[in-house]
Amino acid sequence: MKALRFAASVLIIAAILALYRTLLPVNNTTVALTLLLAILGMSAGWGLAEATVASLAAVVGFNYWFLPPVGTLTIQDPQNWVALLAFLVTAVTASQLSAHGRRRAAEAEARRLEIERLYALVQAMMLSGSARKTIREFVSKVVQVFGCGAAAFYYRPTDEIFRSGAESQPVSDHDLRVAAEIDDVSIDSQRSLATAPVRLGGRPLGSMALIGPLPSEQSVRAIMHLMAITIEKARALEDASHAEAARQSEVLKSALLDSLAHDIKTPLTSIKAAVTSLLGGAAGAESELLTIIDEEADRLNQLAAEVIEMARIEAGKLHLEKRAVAVAEIIDSALSELAPALKGRTVTVNVPEGFPAAEADPEFVQQVVKQFVENALKYSPEGSPLSVSAALKSGKIVIGVADRGPGIEENERARIFDKFFRGRRHRFETKGTGMGLAIAKGIVEAHGERIWVESEPGQGAVFYFSLSAGGGGRES
Amino acid sequence: MSAGKILVVDDDPQIRRVMKATLVGHGYEVIEARTGEDALEKLPQEMPNLVLLDMNMPGMGGLETCRAIRAGADTSVIILSVRHSESDKVAALDAGADDYVTKPFGIEELLARIRAALRRSPSSPEGGPHAFAAKDLEIDFDARRVRAGGKEVRLTPKEFELLRYLVAHAGKPVTHRELLQAVWGPDYGDEPEYLRVFINQVRKKIEANPARPKFIVTEPWVGYRFVAP
Repeated sequence: MKALRFAASVLIIAAILALYRTLLPVNNTTVALTLLLAILGMSAGWGLAEATVASLAAVVGFNYWFLPPVGTLTIQDPQNWVALLAFLVTAVTASQLSAHGRRRAAEAEARRLEIERLYALVQAMMLSGSARKTIREFVSKVVQVFGCGAAAFYYRPTDEIFRSGAESQPVSDHDLRVAAEIDDVSIDSQRSLATAPVRLGGRPLGSMALIGPLPSEQSVRAIMHLMAITIEKARALEDASHAEAARQSEVLKSALLDSLAHDIKTPLTSIKAAVTSLLGGAAGAESELLTIIDEEADRLNQLAAEVIEMARIEAGKLHLEKRAVAVAEIIDSALSELAPALKGRTVTVNVPEGFPAAEADPEFVQQVVKQFVENALKYSPEGSPLSVSAALKSGKIVIGVADRGPGIEENERARIFDKFFRGRRHRFETKGTGMGLAIAKGIVEAHGERIWVESEPGQGAVFYFSLSAGGGGRES
Repeated sequence: MSAGKILVVDDDPQIRRVMKATLVGHGYEVIEARTGEDALEKLPQEMPNLVLLDMNMPGMGGLETCRAIRAGADTSVIILSVRHSESDKVAALDAGADDYVTKPFGIEELLARIRAALRRSPSSPEGGPHAFAAKDLEIDFDARRVRAGGKEVRLTPKEFELLRYLVAHAGKPVTHRELLQAVWGPDYGDEPEYLRVFINQVRKKIEANPARPKFIVTEPWVGYRFVAP
């Protein structure tokens, strides 16, 4: 193709020279200008090399046939030297300028085309909820839009390879994995292969290879960036839809727990209302039997409440409403709720003057204190004293409930907060669900705090939990 | 003569049966409704003194029913619910209920709450004020009328009792317990959330700026105080 153009350019020059030499005798200036026009035309149409060859041919031919002495390559008149030189310089310079402009136009056109293609790629990218699906689509769109033979993508997070086009075999899985670790784009024009890492903010996402007719290096880079952004967006979308699904399942769980609570408590309400109503007018054995029904209804209610609360804690459905709350108030309300059970016991409460307020959900924390006190009542001899105290330890409020019971053996101390755990000695004696301390632990941990027990066998036990001190609020 | 007419609203037929048997046994007249919609229909014909309202019902539900009752009548409302969290109680009181009882309950407790809800102090107890007048607030305790900022406002019976007690002790702090026992009855005292809700509602009705109350001020950790300008 190139050779043909060289031959054609020499022929055109020869034709012009022959025309003026034999058919149309004109002055030398006209001949030179005609040649110049032809050379400019060639440089604009074909390029610099063709125009240069034509210029040299024109200089030689012009000198031989038109500059005296005609028929030789020598020049007599020094003026003609100047004319010939001027012709040569003008022809070559003009050719250069024209060829340069042509090249620029071609480059601009190529860029425009690539930008159009990138834009088409962006437009073609429909984000689906799944990152994998989006990648598969992207890889096939790149091939389609840029007209490459094939493309392959290595997705690092799942170590998967996505291929598109039949000719994607030249690049192996191994090549792609290696490319993900290399810093820059590599273009192998002999194998028509471009590989590049795909990163987002320095974080490697994988690598991509394009095979066949390749776009420019800038375009390859742009494709990689586009790929990275697309994957990131798809992943964000995927995360968001997962989060939504998780949220919906939580809502469902919560609704189930609520309806369970309702369904268990509704018949209990009828039983309790009926039996307490009968109790008002009963005497003797009848009263005793009705009292049993009443107490057992309470127990069933307590059991249902604990099971549901435990389920709520395990489902992470505990809604804490934290606020600054006076520690003494928490302890007082817990004790006043237990007043009937505390009959015949001395309870010492020790909260120092000016003790800081706690940042907590008062209702739940009160439940923990209540649980500790109930536990102490259950496991210490009747009539023995209890004490409830609050202290500040390294910035944390620590509330403790101490009893004078038999204490807890070391191997049982760690498991005492487990669901359904019962101490060896009490396994068959004490009533209760074995969930109380597990619930207390759930509540304390939902506050981000600690619960523990200290005990010496024979010396009683002290149950503790910590709370964070509230923002400056002080008890009056 | 019956001790009062009570409308029992619950979707569970067994609960309605127990309530009817028990309350009739204690001298009350009882009418029943299965749903909130049903209750609102019966309310104007029957004119009960008290509504026992289940919170969790199909259809419009207890809270919405309570708001609808409050919009039209001064009837006392006690909400019954299996939920026992403070936020549920506050939501019920906010909807206009006078009291809140957690299911399951002993009948004695419910009867005490019913008596407290039906208890209305005479229009002008002895030694109590007959009227109060300031620039933005006029209260006629005998006619049970309140004007705030030049406009007539409607207070529910409990809100009115609360205001009356505070005005009667104007200038002195009234403790939570004292106020609860005076307005609800001697069995009360550990329900500070009741006061939070009711005081807020009264403030909304009589104060020009409820966020910076002029008449009913909070006494931190103690209670409330009525300030007569």
